[in-house]
Amino acid sequence: MLRPRGAFFERTIEPLELHVSEALIEKLKNEIAAVEHPRELAVDVMMALQDHHGYLSDAARDQAAELLGMSALEVDELATFYTFIFREPVGRYVIHVCDSLICWMAGEENIVDHLRQQLQIDFGQTTADGLFTLLPVCCIGYCDRAPAILVNRRVHGPLTNSRLDELLQKYRAEAAEKPGSNV
Amino acid sequence: MPTLTIDNRPVTVPDGTKVITAAEQLGIMIPRFCYHPALGSVGACRVCAVGFKEGPIKGVEMSCMVDAQEGMVVATDDPDAVDLRKHVIELLMLHHPHDCPVCDEGGHCLLQDMTISGGHGRRRYAGAKRTHLDQDLGPLVQHEMNRCIQCYRCSRFYQQFCGYRDLGVTGIGTRVYFGRSEPGTLESPFSGNLTDICPTGVYTDKPSRFYGRRWDYERAPSVCIHCSLGCSLTVSARYRKAVRHEARFNAQVNGHFICDRGRYAYAYASQPERPRDALIAGRPATLAQAATQMSERLAAIEKGTGPDGIALMGSARSSLETQALLARLHSEKGWRTPCFSADDAATRVVSSALNTLNATNTIALTEIEGADTVLLVGADPIGEAPMLALALRQAQRDGSRIITVDPRPVTLPCAHDHIAVSGDDLATAVAHLIIGALEPSREIALDADQQDRFKTLKQETRDIPAAAELRAIGHALTTAWRPAFVCGTTVPDPDVPPLMGLLQALVQTSCMWSGLFFPLPGANTFGAHCLGGSDALFEPLLAAVEAGQVKALVVVENDLFSEYPDQQRLAAALESLELLVVMDCVPSAITARADIFLPTQTIYEAGGHYLNNEGRLQVATPVIAGGLSIMDTGGGNHPPREFREDIPGGTPRPAWQYVAGLATGETDPPDVKPLLDEALTAGVADGERVSLPSASREWPSIERIGAGPEGDAGGLTLIESAATFGSEPLAAFSTVLAELTPLFGVTVHSETAQRLGWRAGDRIVIPDSAPALEVVVTLDDRAAPGVLLVPRRIGIDRTALRRYMAHLLAE
Amino acid sequence: MYPQVLFQHRKPDRINTFAEYREQGGYSALSDVIAGADPAAVIATIDDAQLLGRGGAGFPAGRKLMTVAQDAPHPRYLICNADEMEPGTFKDRVLLHADPHLLIEGMAIVAYTVRARHGIIFIRPEYENAARILEREIRLAREAGFLGEKIHDSDFSFEIVVHRSGGRYICGEVTALISALEGCRPNPRKAPPYPTDKGLWQQPTVLNNVETLAYVPLIVRHGAQWFRDLALTESAAGTKLFSISGHVNKPGCYEVPLGVPLSEMIENCCGGMRDGRPFKGCLPGGASTGFLSAEHYHIPMDYESLKAVGNRLGTGAVMVFDDTTCMVAATLNLTNFFARESCGWCTPCREGFPYLKDLLYRLENGMADGDWIGQVETLCGHLYKAYCAFAPGGVAPIESLLANFGEEVQAHIDLGGCPMQRQ
Repeated sequence: MLRPRGAFFERTIEPLELHVSEALIEKLKNEIAAVEHPRELAVDVMMALQDHHGYLSDAARDQAAELLGMSALEVDELATFYTFIFREPVGRYVIHVCDSLICWMAGEENIVDHLRQQLQIDFGQTTADGLFTLLPVCCIGYCDRAPAILVNRRVHGPLTNSRLDELLQKYRAEAAEKPGSNV
Repeated sequence: MPTLTIDNRPVTVPDGTKVITAAEQLGIMIPRFCYHPALGSVGACRVCAVGFKEGPIKGVEMSCMVDAQEGMVVATDDPDAVDLRKHVIELLMLHHPHDCPVCDEGGHCLLQDMTISGGHGRRRYAGAKRTHLDQDLGPLVQHEMNRCIQCYRCSRFYQQFCGYRDLGVTGIGTRVYFGRSEPGTLESPFSGNLTDICPTGVYTDKPSRFYGRRWDYERAPSVCIHCSLGCSLTVSARYRKAVRHEARFNAQVNGHFICDRGRYAYAYASQPERPRDALIAGRPATLAQAATQMSERLAAIEKGTGPDGIALMGSARSSLETQALLARLHSEKGWRTPCFSADDAATRVVSSALNTLNATNTIALTEIEGADTVLLVGADPIGEAPMLALALRQAQRDGSRIITVDPRPVTLPCAHDHIAVSGDDLATAVAHLIIGALEPSREIALDADQQDRFKTLKQETRDIPAAAELRAIGHALTTAWRPAFVCGTTVPDPDVPPLMGLLQALVQTSCMWSGLFFPLPGANTFGAHCLGGSDALFEPLLAAVEAGQVKALVVVENDLFSEYPDQQRLAAALESLELLVVMDCVPSAITARADIFLPTQTIYEAGGHYLNNEGRLQVATPVIAGGLSIMDTGGGNHPPREFREDIPGGTPRPAWQYVAGLATGETDPPDVKPLLDEALTAGVADGERVSLPSASREWPSIERIGAGPEGDAGGLTLIESAATFGSEPLAAFSTVLAELTPLFGVTVHSETAQRLGWRAGDRIVIPDSAPALEVVVTLDDRAAPGVLLVPRRIGIDRTALRRYMAHLLAE
Repeated sequence: MYPQVLFQHRKPDRINTFAEYREQGGYSALSDVIAGADPAAVIATIDDAQLLGRGGAGFPAGRKLMTVAQDAPHPRYLICNADEMEPGTFKDRVLLHADPHLLIEGMAIVAYTVRARHGIIFIRPEYENAARILEREIRLAREAGFLGEKIHDSDFSFEIVVHRSGGRYICGEVTALISALEGCRPNPRKAPPYPTDKGLWQQPTVLNNVETLAYVPLIVRHGAQWFRDLALTESAAGTKLFSISGHVNKPGCYEVPLGVPLSEMIENCCGGMRDGRPFKGCLPGGASTGFLSAEHYHIPMDYESLKAVGNRLGTGAVMVFDDTTCMVAATLNLTNFFARESCGWCTPCREGFPYLKDLLYRLENGMADGDWIGQVETLCGHLYKAYCAFAPGGVAPIESLLANFGEEVQAHIDLGGCPMQRQ
């Protein structure tokens, strides 16, 4: 189920240049300038660049390091710690399936099987069309709506197979309607 | 000072001592992985568990996390603690690859020791092992992440202790990974210590990989001779080849660590080009032939010219034995006073610096860690004496303020205030510091005579751009409790060290503790100063050669061409000699010119005594007998079966033996202590400092302070100074360090670059240089304007470089 | 059914707005306090109310405030821990979506008592909606003069910022949370120094759970006696938010007086067990508490009663299991959680949980061999010697599995696998 780790050293294709809007960089610079300790914004800056980029690429990490006055390694020390920062490319929609106790009791395994079947991918993989990435996640705090998943950090639950199909359909339609736009 | 009982034995320790340290004082080594005396306690590995029987804490706790307290009764053999330790080891071994047979750490591996002593033998865990990818960390350190037991020593050492930021810990849980963001050469010049502190084989010494096991090695305590600090080493050798340096703990000098220059400098001793045979006129001869001919020809010259016709040249890298016998040769034969450096400018500064040191104002390297303010003038620790930078880092971590006053853009692995002052202004800068310390201060009382002198000082001291800032710092020094004063001896002029001495003496009256620390140009510069003619300069010697007064020159372990800038003049002078005798262990421009060449032994074969920069007498023990390694003579195959009486390549003798042969014919190593006693005043023991003159409060001559720089104020000056890699004559032979030596470059302030029409990254091809020399331009606005900064680099055409720079200066 | 305090103004589909909160008497406690109350007196009231920390550890909130020394240096920080990551727990999310101003007012009052200048709400990234609600409502409170510089023209200034985590369970641990805020790896640190002495940026720092802070305005308004009287049992004080999930008909977050029996909560609040099946057991306070079994079905749900049976109230996250649940498999799931979320700092936790997970996996799948129970017991025992409280919490389900469901474990061993899967 888990893929072998240390995996963030296996480089995939990196964008040659980092196209981050001037406005975003300016906004981040201002936010950093407003706090006493730039490092306290490390997660915010990484998230902002990731949201812009889809994932925290090497170039984005270097950009974060520069903005925060940290070394690339120091950014990686944080980036690789957290669940919601991706150092590898992910799909446009990251599906986190909660596999903790209550969701598991409520049929998380069925959800996973259904998603695997529908998307033809396993945990840690991204669909060929680049739309969906499937990942497990620990209890997301929606046990009253089990079984639940997150899609791009937005919760959905309680889920059934048909509800899941609707969701996937919705995101596919959205992607078809607005190709390229992120999140 | 609580008293506690550990394993039924009482021990009294200072407040705040951890139980694990208290146990060490009783000789009880509680198992540990994450705890390291230099890195402190973090409680990560949980293998130092002990039982607390009585006192404020009860039960099993980690001995590294608990402060020793009055009345504690501790049992390291408490059954519950032993059981926990045993299981912690089992847990640490879950993912370990059990690759001890092919692991270089095997045989001196803490994990191996603990696994055996903890009684863990059978792996019960049936799950899969997690694995990691390794990284290429450069030529010095081999990375094997699967062996990791996550003690966090490496990241703590690398980041917190050393202040470098390209190695650390990523990931979470069982997947925590210690390494860099991406594979690549480690940036820290202290990276080799990772191989010492790693309790298992994640970081191993790359150049000595697969040479042998710890128990295969011949090992001996030694001293690092690749800068003047004299860090303590353990040398490992196998098959007549020195293959590894490790740091040896020394509480006064280097603590637990050494720098990468010192660690990887040994290659010169076994390089294929090492001269191992005596030569007469460039042709191989036996030692006896060469020695006989040397004596006869020197005797003949002496007969013709008198003793004055023979000159002696030593070096700062020779042992005290060699230096002392050169001095004795002079005194017994009446030959010219030995000269120990061809760099007269440095000799003058060294002389004035060492005359400033006395028995009460000299401090040791580790004492700097305890300073609350450190002022460095004309000193660039990372280049000149890397371990000094690490000591400064520790001081700074403890809250110390570090101030550098230098024409160079000094970089340190810790926060520091840098004041750029041109080289000619350093003395003036220190004068301003003194004024700042005295003027607004009520702390320091001056007598009438001192008042007068101070008045003169104030009148004579010229204004410089940083004057106000310097005076403020000078004033701040009077409120420091433990200020340390560091002064370099290659960049400043000879006035600076005595002025630093004066500043220290003045501030001394208002603080608890203070002292002087002077890094020197060579490993045994201090020895040369004590034993040789400390004032013997090279220029007069050269002039005497040129004038035909000196007919014979005996050069011992010194490549004059790397010290003396005008190579053509030097070559011509040497050409005019009747006899040039050279003794050395490495090939150089001068060995090729010798009429008689005698191969000398290295420190690994000869051992010897050395005085470090503070005058501490230290001993290097011989570790191998000498001779070519059978790894080399075997050509990678089976060792040769050629039977002969001698050891191939075993001809070299200690340099002192050749010198002794000329003087007295002695064949036993000289006892350096009486020789030192002669030169100094009282006896000295190994590891102790030589006795320096008692403290004097003499105000140094201040005639030159007001004189201002020679030439016009807007002129350019060239500074050649030591770099971490590539500058030290012996370490420069190391091929692994050569990989780390940056491209040769010149660093200038952007204003200066503009004046010269240079841009960052420009490559200047130095005309008529051989070998062809290319210089890359780097801009750094922390450099003093007008300074052209180049690293001292062995093997480059300094004459052409200087000629080109002189041409720039003239324009 | 039960007196509603925090959820008094809970609405089915939206938050209790700032205007409504004001009308209901909101911010009057803050105004009164700022008008010149003695901080020590306010702390005394909170202490007298016997308000215990609702984040899981149950440390007396008043006592924590008292540990901030009078002469402690400034600036001081107040951190609200909204990093609700204990599996089964979602009460803070529901509370933030119900009545966010209770928290904002509570933070301002607590900040006043310790003269904290900066407030930080540390929130898990899955609660982005709650984070946005908070940011908006904080702005409204600031615009109305309840936050910001010199509140009500007093010398008290207080600001709140919302800090989003990158998402890790360990970030909820006090010292790890502080490391995370400082932009360091969130590894726990060992006290002393305690955060109230040297916390965030080495400054005095008070850290409380959302629910704890939300009670403060009500305690200040109605008094300590009122709060204590809310509980049903003598030793307890106040109500508590319970996140009830699992095999019940209506899972959800309910406010219940402390001391209400578990059975009553399941029957009255959640409409009973799902499909009317029998109650087999539950976790009373999140993943790091032990299993209760059917014999505890009527246990009063308060701190002392649970302590008496060797368990903890934790976060009040009640995860209910009926007789179809394999307790070994449930424990395996929980252990997987701890193995995945261990920060990797100390050996027993980092290596112990994957080891235990493997052992449980083997038991569930018929591969247990040797002295399985002995091995698990020893390992659990050694996990108590981990660096922080994460590991002792994580072994609570395993130890209680052995203690309360020993027969089921033995059946797994004897049958060579899960008996339930065979049925």
